[in-house]
Amino acid sequence: MSLLGMFWNQTVCLLQHFRGRKNRCYSLAVRAVRRAFVYASKARKAKRRSMRQLWIQRVAAASREQHMKYPALIHNLLKCSVALNRRVLCDLSITEPRSFQSLTALAHARRTEGLRAALGDGAEPPGVFSRITQLQ
Amino acid sequence: MTARGTPSRFLQSVLHNGVGRYVCQLKRISLIFSKKGQGSLGVRDFIEEGVVDFAKNNSGTVVYISPQSCRIPKIVAEYLNGNVKEETVTNKTSQEIAELITKLSNQSGLDIIRIRKPFHTDSPSIQGQWHPFTNRPLSIDPVGPQAK
Repeated sequence: MSLLGMFWNQTVCLLQHFRGRKNRCYSLAVRAVRRAFVYASKARKAKRRSMRQLWIQRVAAASREQHMKYPALIHNLLKCSVALNRRVLCDLSITEPRSFQSLTALAHARRTEGLRAALGDGAEPPGVFSRITQLQ
Repeated sequence: MTARGTPSRFLQSVLHNGVGRYVCQLKRISLIFSKKGQGSLGVRDFIEEGVVDFAKNNSGTVVYISPQSCRIPKIVAEYLNGNVKEETVTNKTSQEIAELITKLSNQSGLDIIRIRKPFHTDSPSIQGQWHPFTNRPLSIDPVGPQAK
């Protein structure tokens, strides 16, 4: 029941891809495997953050192609009660470019209505996209 | 366990099973037990009660019962894609063994490792995937038939 044998049996599969003597020599391998586990644990939190960052980058790039900025897009979609999250918006911008174009058009229309309402001082009729409908 | 150190696969079904007809992916199930051991009591009870019903319900699966002199009773499940799964059933009750066998028959033979994405499509893009020229205006007018 050698600890050495147990170690190699259990961990050899997950240190095959390490570089240098870390994949062959016991002392170095122990330290490398422990670090690998620590990094894996830390990365689980960081993965969620970096995925969200990637989605935001992609949606921002796609909306800028449609002449709209990311904060404006998100805020106006929220005001139109379009509850699409960043992941779905990112996927739409990649696989469904025309749908994304129409979403940016919607956000743009809501934005212009909002600006008219704020700057126009009530002289103009209220807009179509800013109507709040009651669900029955 | 690290993501690169441990194997992973994408979500898939074996040959689009279930889209048309459903074929049970369990090919063969062998119950290895001993006739007089204590650990095999549950297996023996299951063989008395439930095995025949299971075999009748799953007509596409072959059930082998092999009493041997063994210390640990096992259930060996073989799948249509060649994977073999062994489960030891020492000191399990007949009920637990029945549940285990239903679980094995509901599995496809694919490896139980990390699945990268919980979804899969063969056609991810309907409107055409984005490429740098999707939203660019055309640089030349459309080419029509030559006017003579």
